[in-house]
Amino acid sequence: MSKYIALPKGVSEASFDKAIREFKRILGDDHVIVDAQRLAPYLKIMIPVAISKHSPSAAIMPVSVEQIQRIVGVCNKYKVPVWPISTGKNFGYGTAAPATRGQVVLDLRRMNRIIEVNPDLCYALVEPGVTYLQLYEYIKQHNLPLWIDPPIPGPIAGPVGNTLDRGVGYTPYGEHFLFQCGMEVVLANGEVLRTGMGSIPESNTWQVFKWGYGPYLDGIFTQSNYGIVTKMGFWLMPAPPAYKPFVVRYPEENDIVKAIDTIRPLRIAQIMQNAGTVSNALWETAVLNRRADVYSGEGQIPDSVVQKFAREHGFGAWNVYSALYGTEEQIAHNWKIISAAFKGSGGEVLTQADVGNDDPLFNYRRDAMRGDLTMREFGLYNWRGGGGSMWFSPVSQAMGSETLKQMAMAKKTLSEFGLDYVALFIIGWRDMHHIIDILYDRSDPIEMNKAHDCYAGLLGQFAAAGYGTYRTNVDFMDKVSEIYGPVKRDLYRRLKRAMDPNGILAPGKSGIHI
Amino acid sequence: MLTGRQRNIRLACACIALGAVLLGNWPQAGRADEWKDGPDTYNRVCSYCHETGVGPKITGRHLPAAYVQAIVRNGYKAMPAFRPSEIDDRILGELAQYMSNTEDQ
Repeated sequence: MSKYIALPKGVSEASFDKAIREFKRILGDDHVIVDAQRLAPYLKIMIPVAISKHSPSAAIMPVSVEQIQRIVGVCNKYKVPVWPISTGKNFGYGTAAPATRGQVVLDLRRMNRIIEVNPDLCYALVEPGVTYLQLYEYIKQHNLPLWIDPPIPGPIAGPVGNTLDRGVGYTPYGEHFLFQCGMEVVLANGEVLRTGMGSIPESNTWQVFKWGYGPYLDGIFTQSNYGIVTKMGFWLMPAPPAYKPFVVRYPEENDIVKAIDTIRPLRIAQIMQNAGTVSNALWETAVLNRRADVYSGEGQIPDSVVQKFAREHGFGAWNVYSALYGTEEQIAHNWKIISAAFKGSGGEVLTQADVGNDDPLFNYRRDAMRGDLTMREFGLYNWRGGGGSMWFSPVSQAMGSETLKQMAMAKKTLSEFGLDYVALFIIGWRDMHHIIDILYDRSDPIEMNKAHDCYAGLLGQFAAAGYGTYRTNVDFMDKVSEIYGPVKRDLYRRLKRAMDPNGILAPGKSGIHI
Repeated sequence: MLTGRQRNIRLACACIALGAVLLGNWPQAGRADEWKDGPDTYNRVCSYCHETGVGPKITGRHLPAAYVQAIVRNGYKAMPAFRPSEIDDRILGELAQYMSNTEDQ
């Protein structure tokens, strides 16, 4: 019986003892956790698998680049893998848990310095432990005319982790990796790389020009295990003088075609500027209600029940939330174009003045689309209760016919497992992220198995139709990687072997193994 | 707003500090003052769920401090767990004391 809750694969307890001793020498005893009780916060997950499948062996908490360089030295010496996390709040994608059992969580949350916020060039350079809340407060305290772009868990999540997992927000800067500029990365051999212009020692253009010279490298450090990102630059949106959020409600489920075909040309032309959302009636329902209060039957909630509830509560079968940004004059001009287009497609176009000040659904979108912090959307977790959530997120063309096809496929598969279609589309530029929250009761083993099998079924169904997910949880990384094909997977592996020959960095991340 | 000179000083400081990183001399310090005390932590973190109807109301219930600490560290259902790297033991102790003593608002 080991004194550790898990051991790294292929590492003896005696060898791991030595590694732990060396970690303690670098970090101090308080910042190396092996005790089961103190590791508890690293075990909490929302995905439908046993905790033991993704248990770490230990957690270590460096506070400097130099400490991380020494840590990778120890890892190479004892072949101990580390799983870097920034804020560890990747809910629905695995939270802080490693892809495989026995990895040491490299918890970077204490590295939480905002190194620079530049109000002239509108960028920030931060460490991995910085939260959106911290950045938000810093900007307010310094009265800087800048906006951030948080995802829903923004108060406790951070820009580095979210961007590295290629997450999104809701302002015009919503596609986070698009607005990332410059990284500092500790490589598996302990070297420190600055990407882009940052490789030049006296450079002051690290956060303003993404490409530098030669092959562009930042992308290979996202959704990957080729390095440990210790600093990241990203652009911030200048606060616009005026802001006008709105919602467009469509009464019928098939109106998704009209909604998306109206959005596409406006979005590509940048008349609609932000990563707005198109949520279905059940999403709106689930944010505010418990399932038991809406439907008590077995199986997937029937469309007729959802539609009736939506009508009674005044929201659409589909609800487009977007906003206009700019001067009053720009907004007035674009509003004429946008409102005419949506009205012409049969949508009910409403502003804050129309919905009033007490509409919680409108208000949380209003806040999110201007970069304010809100976690109101996590009312979704009360729909079923029990703490189970897993995001299935296929990419869709911004074409009405495509979204209809994806919706039908998703509903059918979810129905086979008795699960509900709680969905929204996040508007990209020419694409959309089709976000489906698979909500289930994690305390019910049968429901947990159903959720797991449902996710596998959705992946398979969508892949057979040519669709892939943009991101996945720690339990499905190999499967998703297989969907993207053997040539890509083999190249990822060859890169891994070249950059990390001992496989010490996050084995299994995005299905990449040594 | 910062003046141009203040910005230049800040940039210069940042460049000096960044240069130090390349040499491996980055000073070892986190932001120790992230949370001031129990009420500050509740207002700046917990309230995003527990004052908006997402999580249950927890003020005014005189929840035992040990219970609050256990839930924060372990999580419960959809409530996430918080690690000592986010909320250290001292602040968690103050938060738990605060929660156990709040009156109904």
